Amino acid sequence: MQIRMKCNCGEGNCSEWAIVDVQGVVEAQPSFQDRLQNLEIGVLCRPSSQEVYTLTIGYHELTGSKVPLKKPILVLKKTKQSGVDSDRENNCNVELHVVGVIRQRILFKTRPKALISKAKVEAKETQKSTI
Amino acid sequence: MEEQQPVSGGAEALLHLSPGSSISLAYHPLFGPHDDLIFLDLDEKILPDVLHGRVVLRGQPDEDAVLCTTSKTYSIKFVGTSNSVFLVPPNQSEYHQPPQESDSHNHHDQKAVASVIKLVPGNMELVEVAPRLDKLKSLLSENPYTCDELEVENLDGHRESRTGLYNWNDLVDHIQASDEEIRSGLKALSAVEINGHWRLVDESYMRNILRMLLHNLVLNDWSLNALNEVDVVNILESDGFPRVLAKHCLQVFGERVNDYVWKLDDKRVCVEFAREILGGGKKKLESFMDEWTQKIPDGMQPSFDLLEGEVLTERVGVETWIHAFSVSSLPSTPAERFSILFQERKKWDWKDLEPYIRDLSVPGLSSEALLLKYTRRTQPTPDAEPVFSAR
Repeated sequence: MQIRMKCNCGEGNCSEWAIVDVQGVVEAQPSFQDRLQNLEIGVLCRPSSQEVYTLTIGYHELTGSKVPLKKPILVLKKTKQSGVDSDRENNCNVELHVVGVIRQRILFKTRPKALISKAKVEAKETQKSTI
Repeated sequence: MEEQQPVSGGAEALLHLSPGSSISLAYHPLFGPHDDLIFLDLDEKILPDVLHGRVVLRGQPDEDAVLCTTSKTYSIKFVGTSNSVFLVPPNQSEYHQPPQESDSHNHHDQKAVASVIKLVPGNMELVEVAPRLDKLKSLLSENPYTCDELEVENLDGHRESRTGLYNWNDLVDHIQASDEEIRSGLKALSAVEINGHWRLVDESYMRNILRMLLHNLVLNDWSLNALNEVDVVNILESDGFPRVLAKHCLQVFGERVNDYVWKLDDKRVCVEFAREILGGGKKKLESFMDEWTQKIPDGMQPSFDLLEGEVLTERVGVETWIHAFSVSSLPSTPAERFSILFQERKKWDWKDLEPYIRDLSVPGLSSEALLLKYTRRTQPTPDAEPVFSAR
């Protein structure tokens, strides 16, 4: 069988998605574990004109930078067509659509620094770093 | 573009954050596993193929899928990550949600938000591989075209109902290779499209057509190097061969000179007769050479070099015997190929071995690397020819 990779955006118009890459695992406090939707993870800040970023999660601050990816990453969406308009007789009618491309990421590869002095009251998250 | 910061910023706001500003990173209202999203690490040079819809995944449910461009084949492997990779879609994507400021306790703070739709567990990576063409031969061998078929066809038109016939779409559904690789595989197998199905033609039937062609060549005093296509096809048709196979005979044993004219290929014609002679088993070299020289049309030189990759010779006492051993009958994956080669012979000289491994191609592996991987090389003295044996 064949699955054709479809793209509606055409060259050059593929919408760019972004990734924020953090080492380890970000864990929400137990009371939020099951309802992460809309929850703030942290605040991403670009302090200067350099491509250096900080990500503040609760009492912790990470420092990282924006880096272009060596190879682009395509974001594909798998769809199962149930209609009869599929162009071939494939019985499962799975299609892959290109929905976006990722070309750069904001990468935090250092361990977090503790921000004891300026603790925020409403810190909702803790970050646990795996080694 | 930096001044027009949307309040609900997606990937755009994240990637074009102006100096001195900040953005809130939050889980999207639709945050979840979203397993229908797949991430494909892609070489920049394949990207245009994907964006123009020239890329397809091929494989049966029991096979590992491969990705094919129009000319190349890639295997796909999943590479996981232990990092937390937050994925932020752009604003115009289907995941876009209008900003919901009211339930935020930071109401006074008109901070932009980048919403994380899912965590990326890892990427699919592509590795260029050799096309998996061995199946092509086995599929087409299910129902080769024979002379019987011609008679059946004349009697009734129900040939479509027979099994083991494959059209182009069936082939691309079954074969894990790119279109170009399948086409060159069909050419290497001397397959021909008959009534929409790709077929192998029974070897003895093909040989009959060739013999008739050579016969006509003598009768009409045609030149080996200037065969008029229309004349050849017409005359073979009057001899009872279908036009499509008459033309196929020129393709298999000849080479196109221009739109109308073909020349016969010495090597292919000579090899065909050698195969015929050795079809019954091994022969003494002298009697083989006598028979071969007789069969070959005038104007062609039977040189033993033409038979490399087709025959092997062995010395038994004072006699030399020859038998058929055709590279085209061997599997195309290196491991299987070398295994059969070392079943045939325990030790190989480089001169004998080379024709049997020349066509092996593994992207990223040179032929030296293949030899190193699958053979043991011994050289009794520094001046001696190296000998290859199984590892």
